[in-house]
This record gives sequence, C-alpha cells and structure tokens, in this order.
Amino acid sequence: MAGYFCCQLIPSAGAQSSYQEPDYSKLKPESGPLTLEVWTWVAGLDKAARLFEQAYPDIKVHVNNVGAGSVEYQKVQTAIKAGSGGPDVAQIEYDFLPSFIVTDGLTDLSKYGVNDTKSFFVPWTWGQISPDGKTVYGIPQDSGPMALLYNKKIFDQYGITVPTTWDEFAQQAEKLFQATGGKVKLVDFVPTQAPWFIGLAWANGAELFKAQGDSWTQSLNSPECQKVLDFWVDLIKKKYVATIPDFTPEFYNAVGSGQIAASIEAAWGPGVLAASLNDKTSGEWQVAPLPQWSKGQPFRSGNWGGSCDVVLKQSKFPKAATLFCLWLNAAKGPVLSNWVSYGIFPAALSGLASPDLNQADKNPGKFCGGQNVAQVYVDASKAVNVDFAWSPWFAFVNDDFNKQIAALISGSMTAKQALDAWQEDSLKNATGDGYDVKGK
Amino acid sequence: MRRYRKTAYLFLTPFLTVFIAFYLAPVCYALYLSLFIRKRIGVGPPKEVFGGLANYIRAVQDTDFLNGLKNMFVFGVVQVPIMLGLAILLALLLHQSRGFFMKICRTAFFMPYGIPTAIGALVWGYLYSANLSPFNQILQALHQGKIEFMAPAVVLFSIANIVTWTWTGYNMITLFAALQNIPGDLYEAARVDGAKTWDIVRRIQVPLLWPTLKVLFIFSVIGTSQLFTEAFVLRPLGYLADNITPNLYLYLTAARDANYSYAGALAILLAILVFAISGPFIRRIASR
Repeated sequence: MAGYFCCQLIPSAGAQSSYQEPDYSKLKPESGPLTLEVWTWVAGLDKAARLFEQAYPDIKVHVNNVGAGSVEYQKVQTAIKAGSGGPDVAQIEYDFLPSFIVTDGLTDLSKYGVNDTKSFFVPWTWGQISPDGKTVYGIPQDSGPMALLYNKKIFDQYGITVPTTWDEFAQQAEKLFQATGGKVKLVDFVPTQAPWFIGLAWANGAELFKAQGDSWTQSLNSPECQKVLDFWVDLIKKKYVATIPDFTPEFYNAVGSGQIAASIEAAWGPGVLAASLNDKTSGEWQVAPLPQWSKGQPFRSGNWGGSCDVVLKQSKFPKAATLFCLWLNAAKGPVLSNWVSYGIFPAALSGLASPDLNQADKNPGKFCGGQNVAQVYVDASKAVNVDFAWSPWFAFVNDDFNKQIAALISGSMTAKQALDAWQEDSLKNATGDGYDVKGK
Repeated sequence: MRRYRKTAYLFLTPFLTVFIAFYLAPVCYALYLSLFIRKRIGVGPPKEVFGGLANYIRAVQDTDFLNGLKNMFVFGVVQVPIMLGLAILLALLLHQSRGFFMKICRTAFFMPYGIPTAIGALVWGYLYSANLSPFNQILQALHQGKIEFMAPAVVLFSIANIVTWTWTGYNMITLFAALQNIPGDLYEAARVDGAKTWDIVRRIQVPLLWPTLKVLFIFSVIGTSQLFTEAFVLRPLGYLADNITPNLYLYLTAARDANYSYAGALAILLAILVFAISGPFIRRIASR
C-alpha cells in the first residue's frame, strides 16, 4: 500500500510556493449518481461542497446544519444506536471523537488507504483521529490553537499593554477595572465550555486522560489544572473578568458593545466573532500570542476545539464519503475558502504554509485590521503538546465542568473543591459505565 | 352482540394501530432494553449482557435521579396550584364580563398556548439573560440590582414561569367553557334567593367547576412529570443541572452518554411513579 497516494504538485496561481495535495484519483468512489448527506455546523461549507460537485459531477453533497457540538452529537449517537437515519459524513470535535469510537459506529478509513495521506496533515491532529497509529476514524478538518484576541481601540483608550505573561495579564485586568470603574472587563472566563479551560490547562502542561492497555487514568484535579483555575478564581472574585456563557447573545453583545476588551480565542474564534458580530467593531481587533506562566519558558499554547470529519458505518457510500472528507480538508480550494471568510483554521500542512491564508481584506484578517492572523495561530499550533488525549466519557466530563464552575462562581466551592468534585463525579460516571479507570 | 364487537374493533383499528406502533411497542422495547447492562473489556465497544434488575437497583440509588424527582415534586407543588388558581380567576372574570375588550383578553391569554414550546422558551431565554433582559434593565435603571434568572437556585422557578405563561390560558379556556355550561336558571334561582356575586362564585360556580378542575389537575401533574423542552432549550444559555427535570436526565443518559438501557429503566420508573400518583384521581373521576 506504500505510495498509494503519491504526492502531486499543483502550482498555485499567483503564489510562489507550491500547494501539495494527495492524489484523490486513487480513491474510487461508488458509481453514481449518488447524494452524500453531510452534517456540519461550519458556516459556508455548502460553498465548498459546490466546488466538490464541480470536480465530481456524479456526487451530490447535501450539507445539513443540525446544530453545533453536543446538539449534533446527540443526534449522531442516536442514529448510530438505531442503525440508520444518520448522515454519511459528520463533523466531530477531537475531544468527543473517542465517545464515538467506542460505539463502533465509525468506518475505519485506513482500508481505503488514507494512512498514506498522513504526511499532509498537522502531526498532532492525525494523532487525534488515529489513536493507535493504524486505525483511522476521520480526516482532520481544523484545529484550535489558542491566542489572545484583543480590541486595540479599547486597549489604547485605557493605556492597556498587551500582556505576555499571566502576571502581566492580571495586572492589566486590574488596571482596566480601576480605569473604568469595573464597567469594562479584560476578558470573559468562559463558565460553560470545559474545552476552553482545558485548553489553558493544556498550555500549562496538563494531560487529563491516558489509556494504558485496557485501563485508563484520569487527572482532572492535577496541580497543572489547579494552578490555572486558582489564577482565574482570583480574577473572578475581584470582578476583573466577566463570567458570561460563550456563544450566547449576551456574550456577543458584551463584546460588541465594548464591555469586554479581549478574549482568549482558538484559531477559529476571530472568524466566529466577526460573523456573530456582523462586522461590528471590525478592524479594531488584534491577535497576540497566549500569555505565558514565566518569562523565560519555552513558548506554549493549548488547543480548544478543532474537528474532524468521520464516515458512519451505516453510510451506503463509504468510499465517496471518504473521498469527500479527504478532498474537503486537503484540497486547496476548500481549505483556503474555509479560512478566508469563515476562519476555519486548516489541519492540512500545505494549507498552513500557504501565503494565501493572509488576506487582509477578508475575515478574519479584516476583522483584525488586516493583520496576518493565521501566522500567530500557526506559531501557536507548533507550541501545542502533541500527547494530549481524550476519553470516551468526555461528554459527561464536559457537562459536569459547568456544574462545578457554577458552584465555584456562586462561592459555595473553592477551586480545589471544584476540581476534586469534577474528578470524582467523572470517575463515578465512567466506572458506572463499565470503564476500568483510576484517578491520578 | 358478538357482531357488534367485531364492528367495534373495526372502528378501533386506526387508533389501535397507531397506539400499538408508537406507544405500546416503544414502551415494551424500553422495558426489554432496561434489563441489559453494559460490560466493557478493553477499549472496544461495550457488550450488552442480561443484567436482570441491575439498572433498576442502580436507579433507586442514583442520587442525581432522585434529586431530579425532588425537583419535579417541588415544581408540581408550587407551579400547579398557582397556574390553576390563576386560570380559575381569569375564567371567572371573563365569564362575568361582556364586550369586545374581554374577547381580546380571552384570545390574548390563550395565545401563548399556540406558540411552539421551543420558540416560547427561546424568547424567554433571551428575557432571562443577566444583562440583556429588559426586566433587569428596568431594575438597574431603578438601581435595584438584577435577578440572575439562570442561577442554579432560581432556574427551576424561571422554568415554572414559562410553563405558567404557556398553560394558564389553556386551562382558563377549558374552565371558561365549563362555566358556559352552567344552566342560567341556577343563577336566577340564586339571585331570587338573595345571593350576592361572591356567594354565586363560592356556592355555584366553583362546585360545578370541580370535576373539570380535577381533570386539569391530572393533566398538569402528568405535564409536570414530562417537563423537558423548556429546560433543554435554556441549557445552552447557561448552566442547568443535568437533573433539573427527570426527563432531561434520562434524555442525557441516552443521547449523551449512549446508555440506552439505563435510560430505559429510568423511563419505566418515572412512568410507574406518575401512574401511582395520578391513578387514584383518575379512578375517583371515573367512578363518579
């Protein structure tokens, strides 16, 4: 099977570098005409699907947004259990992928030779979709290395400097609080998105789950996690940061009306914000590297979100579906159009290296005053710990985080108690579900 | 006689087909599923093995589920009387008054029932957001702080408010129709005997509404046990406990944790509980 997909060099018009793509012709789809059902919440993916239909006229692609994240997962889980009714292709975030792997409902794409396309993708994203290095459960779509998105206009107005360490971050949060009488908060501590917090803990060297043979360890209350949460609890208590649930009208209103001056965002964040704010405050923003714990340390970031595209076992056209997943995430057209305008940060290496990612007149570059946003996130992407793994019971862990943080914010728990309770609840759920898992 | 029975079943067929396919069969399937437990060996998919009543034993020891039931009881004890009380009051007022304005009121009170629950809950979700809520903006303009409608201790009552908003009008219309059925000569006779308005309400209208009220009460109790949509729609807007209602808890057990057999056991237990509570009432009404 070696060399099944040989490299194909396609000279890209207008750019000096060459964009490398796998040779899709090695993957023969079922004979058409056929229609693929694709579930995703990526805005504008239907446009990429039209490009695919032009390249493969026998395959029609029906893009269906059945809800973002958990809303979609619950539908996919139900369809897998029912044995029918699911899509051919579904978007799944890396952190939730193991909970689908254990259902045995996903096609192992390695039988179609996709292992030979491994070299086209960011190494750590391939590790997420192929935990054992052989079986392949999906094709990486995007990743979410984290950085600090800040409103330069507000920073300039109050003389706030861009923090490079978390100590400076806390000082600037206090300064902004004093200068505005608490009306403007430096950032929002996201109380209902466990992966946001986990991304910050990830940047501090935390690893939450480890599979060892047939058993697991889970360490949600490790010192690395506690250091991060302690830091934030202090800022929350002093009211230097907001605690508004993300992805709500309330959050976008607070950001758009200047009540929040900055936001710790994954690579896809600026694009989502630009779209959700309808270009309000467009051009006022800048992206800076994630603050670090100490000045001299090697630069580190974490990851929040990022998805792959999986093919369900119940799909009648698994080869066509695999072809679509591969093409969507490796071909130059969709990879660039997903970033430009929609801010989906590519998992394809050629995509990341492409100078065409930098387009000052289109979002997310336009939202950030023409800055080369992708470059900041490419640097962050290289600073993400590649060994980080998730667990099949993460859906519970994810929701239980909200419970502990609600208790933490209302003052009925300390940071340590909240993390201990998070660890304990999650262990109880996992063992109750038959997993051999120990706390660490 | 036998021939009539055949005809009766013929007429019943359309109902029975749907009833069996979409009601009895799923219940039996849930019952069947609930007898299995999952065994995991290694990292692969779990095996479903026969576990007898293991899921039921787990359920009665599951503090999260039991607290969900407690939420349901608190909700029922607080919300149902308020809603039915309001419905009686509005029905009596509407019955008493005539005119165009009252007709508009009647339609307006009933309207929330015509709005799909999910859409109603979305709008309320907006009204409940800490900073955007017009209620809070008014309070803040008056320097009265703000209400955290989505706070863990408050949110059950925020849901109760949505349910009351939706269903008071429906209950009101039912009671209003029952009032229209009270024969006019009863009122006349009462007036002749010197009864004041309050006496008529107390001695004639409320006693004659009693059978209708009991039916509405049972519907409300069953409705309380099935609370789901409001909580499900509000959930992404903040933190709502998994077990804020038992139905949400068992939905998450199935759809999120993919533990269908345990969810089946929870559903069966919940159904038995609701039967146990509403059964005696239904029997008493039927025996009248």
